[in-house]
Amino acid sequence: MELNIFHLYPDVLNLYGDGGNIITWTRRLRWRGIEAKVHRAPIGASASLAGADLVFIGGGQDFEQQVLLEDLHRGRDREIRAAIEDGVPFLTICGGYQMLGAYYETFDGQRCDFIGALDFYTVGSQTRMIGNYKFRCTEAAGGSEIVGFENHSGKTRLGSGVQPLGRVLAGFGNNGEDGSEGVHYKNVFGSYSHGPLLPKNPAFADHLLSLALARKYGDGTLAPLDDREELAAHDEMFRKI
Amino acid sequence: MKQCKMILALLLGRLVRAVSRLLHRGGTDMPGRLALKLCPELLSLLAAPVKSLAITGTNGKTSSARMVEEAFREAGLTLFANRSGANLISGITTEFIMNADWRGRPKAKYAVIECDEAAAKAVFPQLGPQVVLVTNLFRDQLDRYGEVTHTLENIRIALSGAPEARVCLNADCSLTASLADVLPNDIVWYGVEPGATPSRSAPAISDATHCIRCKSEYEYDYITYGHLGGFHCPRCGYRRQSPSIAVTDVVEQRADGSTVLMEIDGRRELVQVNLPALYNVYNAAGALAAVTAMGLPAKTAIEALGRFQCGFGRMERFALGHAGSRMTLVKNPAGCTQVLEFLAGLKEPFTLAVCLNDRAADGTDVSWIWDADFEILGRLGSRLRRVIVSGDRAADMRVRMKYAGVPGERVSEQRDYEALVRELENEDVPVFLMPTYTALLELRQVVIRHVGGADFWE
Repeated sequence: MELNIFHLYPDVLNLYGDGGNIITWTRRLRWRGIEAKVHRAPIGASASLAGADLVFIGGGQDFEQQVLLEDLHRGRDREIRAAIEDGVPFLTICGGYQMLGAYYETFDGQRCDFIGALDFYTVGSQTRMIGNYKFRCTEAAGGSEIVGFENHSGKTRLGSGVQPLGRVLAGFGNNGEDGSEGVHYKNVFGSYSHGPLLPKNPAFADHLLSLALARKYGDGTLAPLDDREELAAHDEMFRKI
Repeated sequence: MKQCKMILALLLGRLVRAVSRLLHRGGTDMPGRLALKLCPELLSLLAAPVKSLAITGTNGKTSSARMVEEAFREAGLTLFANRSGANLISGITTEFIMNADWRGRPKAKYAVIECDEAAAKAVFPQLGPQVVLVTNLFRDQLDRYGEVTHTLENIRIALSGAPEARVCLNADCSLTASLADVLPNDIVWYGVEPGATPSRSAPAISDATHCIRCKSEYEYDYITYGHLGGFHCPRCGYRRQSPSIAVTDVVEQRADGSTVLMEIDGRRELVQVNLPALYNVYNAAGALAAVTAMGLPAKTAIEALGRFQCGFGRMERFALGHAGSRMTLVKNPAGCTQVLEFLAGLKEPFTLAVCLNDRAADGTDVSWIWDADFEILGRLGSRLRRVIVSGDRAADMRVRMKYAGVPGERVSEQRDYEALVRELENEDVPVFLMPTYTALLELRQVVIRHVGGADFWE
C-alpha cells in the first residue's frame, strides 16, 4: 500500500513548523509498513493534483500572498476544487485554510478574492489572536481533543454549506466569538492550529490517514501505534491551557 | 533643568543597580528602565560623547560583538559593551549609566552595543552609532517579531534614524542587502564568495524565496546556508553585491574553530576564527567589516578573531563531563540547524541535552523546532550517544526527536537541571547543551555552580 501526499506551495506556505505535519504523516504510515510518497508542488509547478491521496496546505507570510494568488488563478484553483469534490482528504492550516474560502477582507476594507471552494470568508481585525489553545473535534471529524497554537488576525465566519471542525475549549478559534474552530466539508479539514497540528494530536493525524486509505483501498483500518510520547506532550499541554 | 533631570536619573539608575547586586540579581535592565522614565532623553545625552558601534540582525549579534570588542581592546581603545545580552533600550541605557560619572561624562570613549531588531528603531536615533553591523534576517519568534519582512522594515526605520552611520551589510542575505536600496548611508559589504565552501542544495524551508523588490523567484549560483548565498532575480536584476570583505576559501573547519582565507579590500589574509561552525565565519567577516569601518586596521581585527572568547552560551566551554562540554543558545530554525550541522560534522561520538522553554523571551510558540532540521540527528547512528530533553516543553522536544528518527532508547527526559547536570558529569564523551534563552540563563547558573565559570553580566 502507498499514499501520495501532495504538499501544496511548500516554498511559500511553510510558516510555523507546518512541515511537521508532513513528517508526522510520513512516519506514521511507514511505521505501519505503508509507503508514503511526498510530492512538493511549489509555485509555478505544473504538477496536477490527479493522483493525490492526501493534500496539505500550510500557512504563509503576507509578503508572498500576491504571488500565490496569481498562481492559484492560473488553474490550480480549479484543480483544488475538483479534488475536494472528488473526496480527496485535505488538511489546511491558517493561510492555507483561509485560501479555500470566498475572500479575505482587510480591516480597512480591501477585499482579496480567494478560490471559493468552501462556504466561508475571513475578515481581518486589528488584534491578533495568539497563543496556545485547545478544541474538541466534532464527531464527524473524529471527535478527538486537539492542542495547538494559533496566531492570526483574520476572523473566519462559516456559511451554512460547511461545518466547523470543532468547538473551542480555550482560546479563540475561528473568530473568538462564536466558539467555532476550523472548517469541515467532505474530507477537507481547515484549522488555525499550527504548532504544528499533527505531532501532538496523533488521533487526528490518523483520522486523515484513515480517510485517505479508505478512499483508495476501501479499508481505512490502521494498526495501532505506541503513542506514549505524543500523548504525554498532548496531555501536558491540554492540562496547562 | 535637563542637566538636573539627567543627574537625578543617573543617581536613580546607580541606586537600583546597587540594590539589584545586593539581591544577587544582574540589574542589567531595571536601572535603565527606571532612569528613562525620569529622563526620556537620557540615552542620547549619555551617548553623545561616545563613539558607538551597533550590531543588530537575527543571528550572530552576541558573537560578532565579542569579536569587535576584542579588536577594540587589541587597538588599545577603552570601551564598554552590553555583554549581559540585555539588548533592549533599557539594558543599553543601563550600560551607558554605568559608564558615566555623576555628571554624565563617559569613562570609556567607545561602546560596542548589540541591539534587538525590534528595539533598534528606538535605540539608534538616540545612540547615533558611527557604524552599524546588520548580520542577517531569519524567521525568529514569530509570535514576538512577526514576519521577517516586518523585522526588515523595523531595521530600515532604525537606520533612517542614524543617517551618519556607515552600515555593514551581509551581501549574501537578500533581505538585509535590500536595505542598501533605501538608505543614503555609506555601505560596506561582506560575504562568502562562490566556491569558498561547498554549495548546498536549496533548504526545504527558506525565509526568502521571492525577490524583495519584484516578488519573482530568486535564482542561486550557490547557497552557503538557509537563504544565504549568491542570489539574483531573473526579472528585475536585483542581485548579490560583490563584497569588499570577502571570505574566498574556508580552508578548514574544526571542532574548536575555522581557518579561512579572506580578501579584505583587495588584500589576501589568512584568518583564524576562534569559534567553530560556518555561521561564525559569517560573524567574523561581519566583525571585520565593522571594525575596519570604524577606521581601525584590518590587522587588529584579524588578531582579535584568533583570540577572542565568546562565552555566555555561544559555544561556551565548561569542564562538565569527562570530555568537557559546550553550551550554545538555540532560538530559531536557521541557527539551530547550523548548530546541528556542526554536530554532524564532528568525528567523535557525543551526548546532547536540549532544553526547550516557551516563556516570553524564548517565544511562546515552539513550532519552530519542526522547521529546524533535527532529522540530521536521526541520521547520525551511534555517534549520537544519547539525547536528554529538558525544559518546560521537554515533552514537545521528545516528540520531535521521535519523528526525527532518533531511536527511543537513546532519548530520556530530565527537567530538573541539578539532576541533569549530575547526570552529564558522568559522560565520557563530549557533551553539547542546547538551551533556549530562558533555559540558558537557568541551566548556565547550575552548570557554573557545579564546575565554575563567570556570572552572566560579566
